[in-house]
Amino acid sequence: MLELKPIINALLRSKVGAVLAILQLALTLAIVSNSLSIISERVSYLNKPTGYPEESIITFSVMSFDDKVDANQQLIVDERILKSIPGVIEAVGVSSVPLSGGGSNSGFSLTSEDDGKHTNSGHLYANEQVIRTLGVKLIEGRDFTSGDVLISSEYAKQPDVVIASKAFTDEIFGEGRGLGETIYYGGGPLKVVGIVERMTNAWPRFRNADRLIIFPMVNANGFQDFLVRTDPSLRGEVMKKIESVLLQENPNRVITNMKGLDEVKERYNSKDILMLRMLLVLITALVVVTALGIFGLTQFNISKRTKQIGTRRALGARKSAIVRYFVVENLIVCAIGLVLGTVATVFLGQKLMSLYSVPPLEVSYILITALGLIVLCIASVIFPAKKAANISPSIATRSV
Amino acid sequence: MLIMNNIGKVYQTDMVQTHALRDFNLQVNEGEFIAVTGPSGSGKTTFLNIAGMLEGYSSGQYMLDGIDVGKLNDNQRADLRNQKIGFIFQGFNLIPDLNLYENVEVPLRYRGIKAAERKRRIENCLEQVGLAGRAKHLPQQLSGGQQQRVAIARALAGEPRFLLADEPTGNLDSLMARQVMELLEQINRDGATIVMVTHDPELARRTPRNIQIVDGQVADFTLYQGKGAASQALKSQMGA
Amino acid sequence: MFAHYLDLAWRSLKATPLATSLMTLAIAIGIGVTMVSLSVYHMMSADPIPSKSGKLYAVQLQVMDEGQTYHSADDIPFQLTFLDAKNLYQTLNVDKKVAMFKSGFAVHVSNPEVRPMLQTTRLITREFFAMFELSFLYGGVWSQSQADNAAPVVVIDETIAQKLFGRSDVVGESIYLAQRRYQVVGVTKEWQPNVKMYDLNNGAFADAERIFIPFNHAAAYEIDTWGNTNGWKREEINNFTDKMNSEMLWTQFWVELENEKEQQVLATQLDNYIQTQQDLGRFNRKTREFSLRNVTEWLEYNNVVSEDNKVMIGLSFMFLAVCLANILGLLLAKFLKRAPDVGVRRALGASKTQVFYQHLVEVALLGFMGGVIGIVFAQLGLWGIRKTSHVYESLATMDVSMLLAAPSIAIVTCILAGLYPAWIVCKTSPATYLKVQ
Repeated sequence: MLELKPIINALLRSKVGAVLAILQLALTLAIVSNSLSIISERVSYLNKPTGYPEESIITFSVMSFDDKVDANQQLIVDERILKSIPGVIEAVGVSSVPLSGGGSNSGFSLTSEDDGKHTNSGHLYANEQVIRTLGVKLIEGRDFTSGDVLISSEYAKQPDVVIASKAFTDEIFGEGRGLGETIYYGGGPLKVVGIVERMTNAWPRFRNADRLIIFPMVNANGFQDFLVRTDPSLRGEVMKKIESVLLQENPNRVITNMKGLDEVKERYNSKDILMLRMLLVLITALVVVTALGIFGLTQFNISKRTKQIGTRRALGARKSAIVRYFVVENLIVCAIGLVLGTVATVFLGQKLMSLYSVPPLEVSYILITALGLIVLCIASVIFPAKKAANISPSIATRSV
Repeated sequence: MLIMNNIGKVYQTDMVQTHALRDFNLQVNEGEFIAVTGPSGSGKTTFLNIAGMLEGYSSGQYMLDGIDVGKLNDNQRADLRNQKIGFIFQGFNLIPDLNLYENVEVPLRYRGIKAAERKRRIENCLEQVGLAGRAKHLPQQLSGGQQQRVAIARALAGEPRFLLADEPTGNLDSLMARQVMELLEQINRDGATIVMVTHDPELARRTPRNIQIVDGQVADFTLYQGKGAASQALKSQMGA
Repeated sequence: MFAHYLDLAWRSLKATPLATSLMTLAIAIGIGVTMVSLSVYHMMSADPIPSKSGKLYAVQLQVMDEGQTYHSADDIPFQLTFLDAKNLYQTLNVDKKVAMFKSGFAVHVSNPEVRPMLQTTRLITREFFAMFELSFLYGGVWSQSQADNAAPVVVIDETIAQKLFGRSDVVGESIYLAQRRYQVVGVTKEWQPNVKMYDLNNGAFADAERIFIPFNHAAAYEIDTWGNTNGWKREEINNFTDKMNSEMLWTQFWVELENEKEQQVLATQLDNYIQTQQDLGRFNRKTREFSLRNVTEWLEYNNVVSEDNKVMIGLSFMFLAVCLANILGLLLAKFLKRAPDVGVRRALGASKTQVFYQHLVEVALLGFMGGVIGIVFAQLGLWGIRKTSHVYESLATMDVSMLLAAPSIAIVTCILAGLYPAWIVCKTSPATYLKVQ
């Protein structure tokens, strides 16, 4: 009972409307599926675990302008004060804050000679509280002890041991190896005493984001970053107290950049979050506009054919036949739009990939979008079509 | 064939009730060719619409070929229209997007007739109205008379036993009108019952039986002859 | 005549409220989305210093050994070593040149009521103010001799002056940068270019510094950088002097050149400089490489307009195309429905052109309404962006040109969409619609 042939013939004879609908659907498919692909890439990047319990860590900086105090001593005092705040689990001064976009990255090698073969990794230094403060999972070896920590104010000195992320040891030594082995940094040997399952360096967006090496070392100067891990429910409370207790100890300094580690990450990723939101708004708006367009065209098609519908009813068409006619007509338009759209989508995807660093478009996004558009097409035709089916057949006997 | 018993039709608007038909009684027998005339607004079109099941009625009873139309649902009425009734409209009502062949095909498709049979019937009917060579043309490429002949072909394609014609020559010049009328007479001779609404007394005179509708009621003498027969037919139907 | 068309257009739009609102909504959404990405793009790519963007040049030297690569398009590092910045400032024979880098201090005053604050500070040579067009409200730049003697002098902007003293006229006052006491010699007018073109290393849209001290304080008081330091070579660095003499990259150098001739002269000087340094064992490369890029080229080279934004622009315009197709369809529907009226008008003597213009005026009016509502949508979107990202606080805004662009784009889009339907309507012969159906 499908009237495919006459529907197609009728469509071919009222080209422009159909062409416009096809064009809209094709473009919509191209835009939405490519946007979805970018969105899903950003979402999976943003949701990638960092290894840290971000919601329970606070970070801030202290800028001291009191040259009478010894910075290294002050650091130890400050850590003790911070730890005495109720709710604080551990606190540590660090040379840079992970996930912040600011830190150190260097090449490490397997020999003391400079053979030009480096494995790049982020690194930071802090004393023995650092692993506990970061809340990362040590999967091999041991944590730092106070005996490991080098307290120095000279640039070139370095400790004897390090703890590294598994991603780094796997890369430089090979999968599963590395514990107890030695790496060289600036010619000096560093023994790997511990391996952490996962910890992210200062640049989560970079390819080697999961490579991080921690040196047990304190070399404080006037500017010091801190990390504080708290009971997550008390983090807000602790954050409010930090500035006053530290200034009480020594007022000649400025406490700044007080944030949760989750906020640090969010700031670092703000462009990605923004892109994500803009794309979401874009595709929502696009779907709305396309739905309006298809709805409008169907509405027009129907109003143009009122008499025809009445005639068909008079000639014995059931209501369901009228509804089916318009649904099938819309589906044909939709199908052509989607076929053309798939071509446009692949083209756009390749164009975007050649110009920008977007991921290759997966077929599943085209399928999902196409399915969504089919649903949209049916949804936007069903209401006007039902209305059309209610047109009285007696309209056929009305002249003009 | 068609029996209307005390049919009433009321159009309800916000302000007023309009009685389009009142105590309307009519019996049409198998094989008749009847012309329905009457002044404009008298209820001719309403009668036609009810007879063709294009709209419902407010009161009374309407039997078409032994079936009580009032007891049918919308789909059953659509099917009955499709099987028993052929329509010829004043405005032709050809579907502009479809060519002649496809236009004639419309009722056949709704009936679910197989393609080969459809083809045979369509070609036959187009032959009968003299448009066999123009199957691929679109309605707008034809003259008014040709369009009306296509509409007649469409009405005939379903091989209906009952043809309803609404001013079939209203938009045609006299020459064309005569051709169409001759065609209708031919169809009637072939066995179809025809009810034709017209305001043209000339045309009405050519049919064996005339009915005049005035103010929603049958005003013709023939009515009274028909009424008894109608009642009897009704009774025998109910008794059976 | 135009007023008459406008009147007809308005009536026609009022006559079909559903179609009119659908079309207005479609164009408004399209314009809203497009204007949001366009505005951000416009602010990102706006010339930060139009009068000089062709004259100010960033200097880059290829200091790295043969075979070393860098994450710039041409492998030349973005920054210079401290040594080269210092040397270039001393040796280059041009009037306007500036060596600089970013640092920062806890800033406070003797008044204990004023809380110390952490402020980024720029170490610059004197020419900076004139080259980058900062204007002084009070006082002026320090003298050359003050710079040579590493005198503790500072230039601050009016915002800092207000924060520390509650007023702007603070020349002669003292402020403390960390524990060192400085004398204010000048107060500049607020200066925040949309792009921090002179130092893109820590975010192109970061705030410009508000405190300026002489460049040679770096050596005199061992002031380290707060910006990026990039090392490319294994070096023994035991103290700040080692860092200043190292091959680490952490300074910026700009010159102002009037014409191509000056540019050539400078190029020769730079080439000579590298040659003399090669004699000292630096710049171990076969070819001597350096580059001079003016502000426009520099922003392009540093990819200041983010890739994401370019993708968004592209997608937005495709979106607008969808809206256009949408409106075209609805307009066609609407106009065709009205074709019988047009038939009557034509029969009454309206010319094709008149009918055509009448319809174009209608779509332009539609575009205008859509554009105005689109601005509202765009403002909403920009507000959302400002809420999402601190980076975009100053970027996600619409300036006058964008406010004017919105309805213009909307009207142009609508007219484009309306051309075909208007033509279809005006070409239909009046007779077609005067015949009884």
